[in-house]
Amino acid sequence: MIQLTNIEKYYANKGVKNYVLRLVTTTINQGEFVSIMGPSGAGKSTLLNIIGMLEEPTYGIYNFLGEDVTNLNERKRIELYRNHIGFVFQAYHLIDEMTVYENIEAPLLYKKVGSGERASRIADLLDRFNMVAKKDLFPNQLSGGQQQLVGIARALAAQPSIILADEPTGNLQSAQAEEIMSLFKKLNEEEGITIIQVTHSEKNAQYGSRILHIADGLIKEDVAVTA
Amino acid sequence: MLKLNLKIAWRNLWKNKVYAAINILGLALGLTAFVLMILYINHEESYDKWSPELKNVYQIREKHDFFTPDNKEHWNEVSNSRIANLIRTKLPQAVAVTKVDNDWDFGSGYSVKTENADPVMVNNIKDSDSSFFKVFDYQFVQGSADKALENKNTIVLKEDLALKLFGTTRALGKTIRMIRWRDDKGNLLTVTGIVSEPKSPQSVGFSAIVRTGNKDKDPDEPTNNNYCLMYAKLNKASDTLVLNQTLQKLYVDFKKNLLKGQKQDDEDIHKPEKVPGLKVIPLENVHSNPPYTLSWFEKLKPVMAISAFLLLVSIINFINLATAQSVQRAKEVGVKKVLGSYKRQLTAQFLIESGLQSLISLFLCIVLIEMVLPTFNQQFNVALSFWHNAKLFVLIAQLLGLFVFVTLLSGLYPAWILSNYNPVAVLKGNYENGLRGIALRNVLVVFQFVISVTFIISIGVMEMQSRFMSNKDLGFERGNLINIETGYEDKFAERLKKIPGVQYVATTTQVLGNSFNVPEEIQYKGKPIKLNTVTVTMDALPALGMKVLQGRIFSKEYKSDTVNTVVLNEAAANLFGKNLLGQTYQKTDWQGKNNIFQVVGIIKNYHNEGFDKAVLPTVYKVTKLGGTSNTNNLLVRFNTAHYREIISKIEKEWKIMYPNFPMVYTSLEDAFSKSLEENRQFMNMIILFSLVSVSLSLLGLFALSTFVAKRKTKEIAVRKVLGASNIQIVSLLNKSFLILVIVANLVSWPIAYIIIKKWLEGFAYRIEMPFVPFVTATLISLIIAILTVSIQARKAAITDPVNALKYE
Repeated sequence: MIQLTNIEKYYANKGVKNYVLRLVTTTINQGEFVSIMGPSGAGKSTLLNIIGMLEEPTYGIYNFLGEDVTNLNERKRIELYRNHIGFVFQAYHLIDEMTVYENIEAPLLYKKVGSGERASRIADLLDRFNMVAKKDLFPNQLSGGQQQLVGIARALAAQPSIILADEPTGNLQSAQAEEIMSLFKKLNEEEGITIIQVTHSEKNAQYGSRILHIADGLIKEDVAVTA
Repeated sequence: MLKLNLKIAWRNLWKNKVYAAINILGLALGLTAFVLMILYINHEESYDKWSPELKNVYQIREKHDFFTPDNKEHWNEVSNSRIANLIRTKLPQAVAVTKVDNDWDFGSGYSVKTENADPVMVNNIKDSDSSFFKVFDYQFVQGSADKALENKNTIVLKEDLALKLFGTTRALGKTIRMIRWRDDKGNLLTVTGIVSEPKSPQSVGFSAIVRTGNKDKDPDEPTNNNYCLMYAKLNKASDTLVLNQTLQKLYVDFKKNLLKGQKQDDEDIHKPEKVPGLKVIPLENVHSNPPYTLSWFEKLKPVMAISAFLLLVSIINFINLATAQSVQRAKEVGVKKVLGSYKRQLTAQFLIESGLQSLISLFLCIVLIEMVLPTFNQQFNVALSFWHNAKLFVLIAQLLGLFVFVTLLSGLYPAWILSNYNPVAVLKGNYENGLRGIALRNVLVVFQFVISVTFIISIGVMEMQSRFMSNKDLGFERGNLINIETGYEDKFAERLKKIPGVQYVATTTQVLGNSFNVPEEIQYKGKPIKLNTVTVTMDALPALGMKVLQGRIFSKEYKSDTVNTVVLNEAAANLFGKNLLGQTYQKTDWQGKNNIFQVVGIIKNYHNEGFDKAVLPTVYKVTKLGGTSNTNNLLVRFNTAHYREIISKIEKEWKIMYPNFPMVYTSLEDAFSKSLEENRQFMNMIILFSLVSVSLSLLGLFALSTFVAKRKTKEIAVRKVLGASNIQIVSLLNKSFLILVIVANLVSWPIAYIIIKKWLEGFAYRIEMPFVPFVTATLISLIIAILTVSIQARKAAITDPVNALKYE
């Protein structure tokens, strides 16, 4: 599904190249649950951003669903966002002016899903996440864990094939974190959604099927998780 | 999607109530000034456009030097009455030509009597001929355009006047007596038509059109001319250029024929400067092309520039505040982008938001206009209306255009900035785009303050000048003095003098409100001196309460006062030299006879015109020697301040003498206020603009300080952690803005100085350039700037630094 070949990312500063990523080559298949780990500044987030096409690599080739997306125009990229990729953020990044319902609805509006289908999908998601009673609340009226649930529901609404999560539990207490991680695991196993997460926590990484250890921009280790 | 965007827009406005209110209010202020201007321009533009038939109507203009203010040749609206007949007979395109009275600005109308009612004064009754309503397509409520002025001694009333005189518009066949001066026998007129008031203003305004027959004929003598307004209706709209060439040729031939046999004149008209000139201009262009004076458009240009500028400033403020606010929306942009929103969808969303705000501003502006319009109308002596506008559709279209313009101008840049946020940077919580554009904003704020400070200084100086004028010693006593609009007649004057409380009854040709200057040149000790001559009666100078500087004023005790004595004013005395009393000067009259006059007194200068004109060197005389002049002034001085009842006694006497003509009078107190009127109006306009301008610059400053405070959140937090007190932080932010305001003050001082100097020079009697307004304006601007900035600075200072530093 995802093929990275010799991906490099550096920032040129006064003639000096500051490497963030170096010669990253890896393949991530449909249905995998990959955790990217590493110390601060190792380049985890940059790698995730490149996978999510939020940043472009300085060098290297990136194939997504068999298509070269290294230099993609805005229109194509947005099509991919609408149909294939869901994002989950550490700080949830719900839109403050929209209710829970509207937040989940937003991607469907962009995807131009008809109103009937929209309503049933959102109802389904709210039901699944036990948030029916909270659908008319605004994000600041929810706890962090609840907000992250909405964030995930929003990411799932467009029925993506892959979810990219940047430290999804970084702001959460451990009980809530566990809940989120089990949810990811369930989504991965039951619905076959590919998940790539960046995490600091070894414990969280254990929920996945594979761990990429990154340090100084290089993949140091690529190990399968043994359940 | 649109619904959701509107919902978000509304929630955002609500969340940032204060900013939204400031944004909207600022824009509404700018719009109000601009829309008022549009209303005014629409009004001026709508002159003479009340009927499609008027497209083929032309005003006739002749080039001549009669009645022109500078005695030079101009294209005049009043033309030789013979031209009407010339066009009627020689120009085949002409369907109808009419002659009508001009608006002369002396006198206050004609007295009109119906049946047994008391006479009333009616303004704007105009004498015309049978063709008037064939040229001007008025709507007849009663009667018809063809028949109305068929016969002499007929009158066509506007509905208003009919209601006023008869209480009904069904007045056909009734008779009216029209008396034009107090002992005129008057014309008996039959009402033959009632016309309705057109929807838009007319350059040939009237309350009634009469046909006395005077306009039917031209003078018999070829050298005698009558002058009046003339309008022609042609069978189709014609090319004015071609038409005017034809007319010019016709007129030169006509003049040659007319003056045949009068050799000298005949030669005269071949000299280039004496070639007769005749042209027509389309009626719709008449109002915008007045002779001698600047057109309304030219007069209005500076005001239009200011109001357009104020609108622009309010839009720029809007942009500033919106971009300062945009940081809050960055996350939304970032999220939406990764959810799959196109950039243009985001741009559209933010445009809708600014559209929503400008729509609210527009409504607010309409409310504001409804509120200020009555005052505005009163101030500028117009009758503008918003809802009852004859061209409401045009106005609404204009407002829609304005709405689109304002929305695009104010929304595009913030929308562009917003939709360009890079999602990666935004979602990481690191979206400070630095202080980009801060220099431009600084310049803008300085610019706004330059204007505001200049306005404040101007108001200060104007206020001082008007106080100076209203308190200035006029040189005469204006209290307890009235001026009846009539000539002096001994019989009437004697009757008035018998009324208790009446101290003096007199006439003069020179009094505030009605001064008539007769220039003359005299010889004094061999040198010529130019003077202004004023004819007075014995009591005139004491009636005015003159102050005598040397010698004496006229009195019945001196027989010589009816022979050859004169009194000079100070200005005239200065031209003569010293030791003047008892000296004589001579003046040669038009018959070549030398008259000798003796100076018996010198009085203090007194003001008889506005303060913009210097008091002329003037000689006052009672004697008929050297000719007299006479204007409609009858001064009555009372020896008590409670003279209301005495006036009604005077009116009784008047009714006995002149039963058919009402008495018209003004108090000199009113005449004085009226002389200050124009200045007061101008000042009110400046105050209005200053208010808008000052509010806008405060909003601008507020926007900028908001922007900077937001940008410096981190710096402030770090400083607080390092131990800075709140006061220190407030003054830190204040400092940078105070520099801007001080720079603005430095720039505006010389600008204000130059403008005000020029304005003051328009007054012959003025104050010295004062220093206080400059200092006051600077202090005011500094204080309000500090207050404005401190609102933001305080907010920034008291926030918990933890919040700002959390994500670092």
